[in-house]
Amino acid sequence: MEKSTLTVCPYCGAGCHINLVTENGKIVRAEGAPGRTNESQLCLKGMYGWEYLNDTKALSPRLKKPLIRNSRQDDFREASWDEAIKFASSRLMAIKEKYGPDAIMATGSARGPGNEANYVMQKLVRAVIGTNNIDHCARI
Amino acid sequence: MSNSVPEIEDTKLVFVFGYNAADSHPIVARRIVRAKEKGAKIITVDPRRTEAARISDLWLPITNGSNMALVNAFAHVLIEEDLYDKDYVARYTEGFDAYWDIVKTYSPEKTYKTHGVEPELVRKAMRMYAAAPDAFILYGMGVTQFGQAVDVVKGLSGLALLTGNFGRPNVGIGPVRGQNNVQGTCDVGVLPNIFPGYQPVTDPKVREKFAKAWNVPSLPDKVGYMLTAIPHLVHEGKLKAFYIFGEDPAQTDPDLGGVREALQNLELVIVQDIFMNKTALFADVILPATAWGEHDGVYSSCDRGFQRMRKAVEPKGDVKPDWEIFSLMATAMGYPMQYNNTKEIWDEMRELSPLYLGATYEKMEQQGGVQWPCPEPDHPGTPYLYKGNKFDTPSGKGLLFAAEWRPPLERTDADYPLVLSTVREVGHYSCRTMTGNCPTLKTLADEPGYIQINSVDAAKYGIANEALLWISSRRGRVLTRAQITDRANPGHVYMTYQWWIGACNELTLEHVDPISKTPEYKYCAVKVEAIPDQLRAERYLHEEYAKLKHKLSSPVK
Ligand code: SF4
Repeated sequence: MEKSTLTVCPYCGAGCHINLVTENGKIVRAEGAPGRTNESQLCLKGMYGWEYLNDTKALSPRLKKPLIRNSRQDDFREASWDEAIKFASSRLMAIKEKYGPDAIMATGSARGPGNEANYVMQKLVRAVIGTNNIDHCARI
Repeated sequence: MSNSVPEIEDTKLVFVFGYNAADSHPIVARRIVRAKEKGAKIITVDPRRTEAARISDLWLPITNGSNMALVNAFAHVLIEEDLYDKDYVARYTEGFDAYWDIVKTYSPEKTYKTHGVEPELVRKAMRMYAAAPDAFILYGMGVTQFGQAVDVVKGLSGLALLTGNFGRPNVGIGPVRGQNNVQGTCDVGVLPNIFPGYQPVTDPKVREKFAKAWNVPSLPDKVGYMLTAIPHLVHEGKLKAFYIFGEDPAQTDPDLGGVREALQNLELVIVQDIFMNKTALFADVILPATAWGEHDGVYSSCDRGFQRMRKAVEPKGDVKPDWEIFSLMATAMGYPMQYNNTKEIWDEMRELSPLYLGATYEKMEQQGGVQWPCPEPDHPGTPYLYKGNKFDTPSGKGLLFAAEWRPPLERTDADYPLVLSTVREVGHYSCRTMTGNCPTLKTLADEPGYIQINSVDAAKYGIANEALLWISSRRGRVLTRAQITDRANPGHVYMTYQWWIGACNELTLEHVDPISKTPEYKYCAVKVEAIPDQLRAERYLHEEYAKLKHKLSSPVK
């Protein structure tokens, strides 16, 4: 059975509304929905931009497991979330201890993640790491 | 944007400055076309004959790198020919005398050599702009990606102020931003100087409010570093760890050689993303996140509209939403953090941000979206800013601002005789891991991407259409394919930045605007070289592409 989910296109700031039509948990097509800015119209990116969700591997593979390595000379190895979080957080803390919080910098993401994820990132950087070193890619 | 996207089609004049809507935002481009159908005039300033230039009443082919000189000449004409709205300027603006002091020396005739637009055309454009009852300025990366960018943006606002084009529907000025959620990322405080809701980190009262809400004794009061400073900071030993969330600086930043060196020298690189990318090849840890379509949340459109995006499918693989990964990191670092869904996060932010207080999920649901400011629960949101011509300055008046023109940093010379400007292409998006993995979009254009070059230059360097060629700057050399087009102006070439093999940011330089720190992607000196053995070049291209693809896929089983 087809199901339709109303969402917003992630490809530019026009913020067009899209209905993602799914069947058996897979996206089958996108349809323009009556948003304020787009009035049911979509461009090519809005029409077909969902295809990567089916992990086409056309260009590069989707990440599916945390990956870590002890040295940059090593290959990556898969890790559990527990191990990866421990690994990343303990190293961050060690750097904070040794050089101070301002030796750490983080980015936000102006692409798919959304405002809530970015809010939590800046909270992590300011309240937990203790620095204002946070910025994002496309300035202005 | 001071006003809203739908208003574009109801204005009487669209003034397009350094913005290629057809390639960057097709749905915005459609509004411009509709405005024309409804009788609006269109003026376009662009070195290239873009789609907008093609349908314009006036096209001003500006010399690359001279924006400020032309904007000052515009202001000069508005004042010198007495075209400006004196009553509006007296009542709602300040700084006129200092403003005139600068722009008075920028007559179109005197500045012609710099900007290359016929003086009579400059005057005609301003007569048309001033005569329009409503005019809407749209600008893009042709303005923001120069070493002098913020000045030009203020200069464009100055034109709208001089003509009284603020504070009502169908007027104003709009940056149309590149990536979809640049507006949102700024809105929620992912900047080194502000908390969510544009509240400065240097204000003790604001810090106290956030510290209390976040349950910490204090928060840092020093403005943080900007991203574009990273190569220097690493070089000076000031920066040791970099947590990269959903971005690909090893592809999208200028001077990639410098970026790679910085990534290599950092003690810790954490990458959190959905696809393997060039930056992740330098990481110590890679944390896999859910993608658009697999998670909930809010995006901000370029006209300040909060809109809900929703989960449509289950994520594949052992991945988590970004906010959940940050919560796990915070907790592991001794700060217990827990959210059950994005609405809890949104509500926490809303209550800390007076500008968004009334922008609830429920209201977004009911109205389809909410444009901030939305300061109260029963406030519907704000389609256009500066109602009653009250501006965000201490005095409430709009500031007329001009600055002297500064030339771009790098000059062409005998070795590097052409100017390279990076541009956008319809169909692909930023660093391409998303669109490059969409087969339908991928067929539109593939590696190594194109360089747009004028027929005069192509003939001069012996370059055939569709042929592979080398392009190099003082920083690097890449392979690309020629697209001979007279939409490009002689002496200038144009490349899009999403390609892996034809990565034009190997060539660009790290010269940034002093305020915005946006790199000068639009101007660097390059040379092109024809390749006699095309067959070998094609083979080389395939091998390099396959190697890179393999490198990116081998860490992922
Ligand atoms: S459909 Fe096209 S114009 Fe609309 S938001 Fe997506 S990319 Fe932008």
